[in-house]
Amino acid sequence: MNPDGIDTPTAQPSWNTRVKDTIRSLERDAELMLRVRDGDQASFGLLLERHRGSVIHFLYRMVQSRAVAEELAQEVFLRVYRSRSSYEPSAKFTTWLFRIATHLGLNSIRDGRKESRQESLDQETSEGTVRQVADGAPNVEQELVYEVKLREVRQAIESLPAKQRAAVLMHKYDELEYAEIASVLSCSESAVKSLLFRAYEHLRLRLAHLA
Amino acid sequence: MGCPVEDGTGAELIVAYGARKLDPEQESELERHLTLCPSCRELAQAQRAVWSALDAWPSIAVSPNFDQLVFHRIANEQQRTPFTGWLRRWLPARWSWRPVVPVGAACAALIAAFLLKSPVLQPLTSSENQPKLQIEQVEHALDDMDMLKQLGVESASEKAHSPEKI
Repeated sequence: MNPDGIDTPTAQPSWNTRVKDTIRSLERDAELMLRVRDGDQASFGLLLERHRGSVIHFLYRMVQSRAVAEELAQEVFLRVYRSRSSYEPSAKFTTWLFRIATHLGLNSIRDGRKESRQESLDQETSEGTVRQVADGAPNVEQELVYEVKLREVRQAIESLPAKQRAAVLMHKYDELEYAEIASVLSCSESAVKSLLFRAYEHLRLRLAHLA
Repeated sequence: MGCPVEDGTGAELIVAYGARKLDPEQESELERHLTLCPSCRELAQAQRAVWSALDAWPSIAVSPNFDQLVFHRIANEQQRTPFTGWLRRWLPARWSWRPVVPVGAACAALIAAFLLKSPVLQPLTSSENQPKLQIEQVEHALDDMDMLKQLGVESASEKAHSPEKI
């Protein structure tokens, strides 16, 4: 109650809203997948739209090749579709999705399917637009600094063992909790923490100077 | 708050702090400790630097025809013939079945060549031709006979019309 005696609603913390949104989102995924199980291909299209980005980005950072990442991502969704008749909403849809993606990503790394890792300035940027380098020393310098930083980050991630790499990517970019990562990697939560802390220790040694 | 690094909880707490995932109360308590503990402060700063560096790695743009390609693959799979489906079930998943088609065609060609040269088939082929040859021979013989007949008639008529020479 404010000094004028009027009740004003207290602002909800943002994390509360995020939690509710997350729950709604998870329920929506399960609902859509159940419809796919019943033969509704349009619902599969909606699931594709909701999750293709995160799957492709995860696989891109795993294998560091756009073409391979998209090919693997297609395979992920193909496998989801193939398994539609046996789907049960016992686990989160995203856990299942990332389990398939991680499995394919780890296989790809093991099989050594890679294309050129280096992106030249003439190629598309990760935002999909061709990078324009304007005349003028400061912009060129900033671009070069950025390129060096990006290269170091990519190389640092690539230097991680495959499972540590997958754990870090899911933790950092997909914001999965330890329990979910454990479910994806089919290991215990303590094993995931061990993977992550070793990975971050390695990354601190390689990237702390970039601060 | 005790020292997280010393009491073994450091890694998880520092990682969460670096990711800005601590609730406000935990974060302020840790930051109070960081002002007093150089090793934790160094660790926390390094972790935040890592987090910030990882933020610099942007996502890629998804190909505009990605969904189309997925649905195309689904449609292809649904149109797969029973034979290729059977083949896929029995071949190891990592094998590609594509080489089977040219190999199968090569085997079929070899089998066909063998059968053509096989003595089992040859009598059939010669016997098929035999009636044809016989018919041709008969036709020729009949033609000859006609010709001979005509010659024979002419000579008789010639004899009939020409006087007998002494």
